[in-house]
Amino acid sequence: MSINNRTKWRDMELSYKQVLEKYPDIPPIVALKIDVSRRGIAYTDAAFEKVNPDKHHVEPFNYMIGHGKQISPIGLFLRDGSVICQGHQEVYNWTYRDPYVLDVVDDKLVIVDEDKIYEEVRFWEKPDFYDKYTSNGTPMREIASARPQRLTIAPATKCHFWDVPKEGCKYCALFSAHRSCNDDGDIRDDKWFEDVTETVQEALKQKGRYASFHMTAGSTLSGKEIFDDEVDLYIKTLHAAEKAIDAKKFPVKLVASAFSKKQLQRMYEETAITTYTTDLEVLNKDLFGWVCPGKARLVGYEEWKKRLYDAVDIFGRGNVDCGIVGGVETAQPNGFSDEGEALKNILAEAEEIASHGISFADCVWNTLPGAIFMKQKTPSLEYYVRLALGLAEVRRKNGLNIYTDDYRRCGNHPNTDLARID
Amino acid sequence: MAIISDELKRILDEPETLKAIATNDREGIPHIVFKGTLHVEGNDFVFYDLLQSSTNNKNLVNAIWFDQKVAINILSKDKRSFHIVGTPSKSITAGKEFEKVYEKIQTRFGEETDLNAIWFIAPETIKEVSYETRKQEEREKFPILAHLDQITIRRNEL
Repeated sequence: MSINNRTKWRDMELSYKQVLEKYPDIPPIVALKIDVSRRGIAYTDAAFEKVNPDKHHVEPFNYMIGHGKQISPIGLFLRDGSVICQGHQEVYNWTYRDPYVLDVVDDKLVIVDEDKIYEEVRFWEKPDFYDKYTSNGTPMREIASARPQRLTIAPATKCHFWDVPKEGCKYCALFSAHRSCNDDGDIRDDKWFEDVTETVQEALKQKGRYASFHMTAGSTLSGKEIFDDEVDLYIKTLHAAEKAIDAKKFPVKLVASAFSKKQLQRMYEETAITTYTTDLEVLNKDLFGWVCPGKARLVGYEEWKKRLYDAVDIFGRGNVDCGIVGGVETAQPNGFSDEGEALKNILAEAEEIASHGISFADCVWNTLPGAIFMKQKTPSLEYYVRLALGLAEVRRKNGLNIYTDDYRRCGNHPNTDLARID
Repeated sequence: MAIISDELKRILDEPETLKAIATNDREGIPHIVFKGTLHVEGNDFVFYDLLQSSTNNKNLVNAIWFDQKVAINILSKDKRSFHIVGTPSKSITAGKEFEKVYEKIQTRFGEETDLNAIWFIAPETIKEVSYETRKQEEREKFPILAHLDQITIRRNEL
């Protein structure tokens, strides 16, 4: 039975087709990507039968839970060369909207909704290093992960904002296996850094695969100054990678906590990084306090913004990004109940922040198991489309590029996909 | 969809052949560029775009997003010209097929050559527009389209 029979969600918001008619500036394929990210995608048995773990990119050590028991690739290619960063999503009794369906028609993988075929897609392909081991005997797939054109290392698998119960960000399902107070996440000893060097060396043998080196992790709060230990960990990890990447500077997409100017200066001077991303998540001070209580208590919204601005002094305009979880500002009971009001508020704040040289990377908020907000209702497709178009316009108006977080080097942000034609 | 002839495939494979592609941006501003790698795979015209920031690449993204047409012109070494109108059907930006081409273009153009995308153009119309072919066509369809002295020369054709 369709979920719509229970929730009648299709009667309460514009359809994909209606959104395209109302907003002709949104490319249909980008709108589809947004809608799939928002509603999820469920594989049919025929789609699952197409999965070949020897060829396709599946993640047995998936750090996101809730993708069900069957193995699915972690993403899909669209025919315009962009990607959908999502695997099969299970349906739960609280799921509000029907997911799209990934099916097989005429031997082709296609995205379907209500029996209409929207796009043909391909599974992401497995990185060559995934079946290899370091000289320490560590499976390389435990050291690094990948998207189609980026190599990712997560130096810390524990976010310490969760050390105080319920102080983690409410939408977040990342690293949810490491949330208990006595779990420090995975150990990063000398052996691990050796493994990083060897894994990066091996990964780079696959010519043409990687356009970016990506690092992100849960926040580490310890040190003389808050985040000092996190900075140390990133520097050590980058130094291990730099042994394999022979360049003074290279494209590193670092998504990290809000470091102080002193910490950022240190990172810039001691490592190869050229860009920096730190995420305000929700562009509203009051909602930041509710949605991200740990960040609000230990750093604060205004200080987080100031640290973004300080980063521009070091990395330059357009080389500092702010990630947001687009749509979470409508979470209830404290978020905006009117989508128009939410959009007006968020885009005004985005304009102010962008005027300081900051670009935005908009993730589509989807409710996943493991998140405090897992039973929330996300906004309409129309909202997400207006947000993506609005953020793209803010970036254009302020003359900022977004190559560090674009469709190739990340792929998870509809607003940065729109920069492909700028 | 138009079928690409074996003759055109053969012309495309000749190193002296010139191949140009014309696109428009979102505002309709035209852009034209030569693409030496343009060839045929199946019944698609395929070429390799080397620069992500190129106008050609941006316009092709615009075309695949908004179902816009592009034009290709092919000029053979013996001055035969072909005009093709088509739509971008696919862009491959990663994966084994991409990596294979990535290595191939480095062998051909040098190891500092990067690859942005493999573009596929599905042809809707293909027409030979060589001067002699077009002249003949015009004479047959519109015999009065000529200066009077020309018509005097070919008076027996009217």
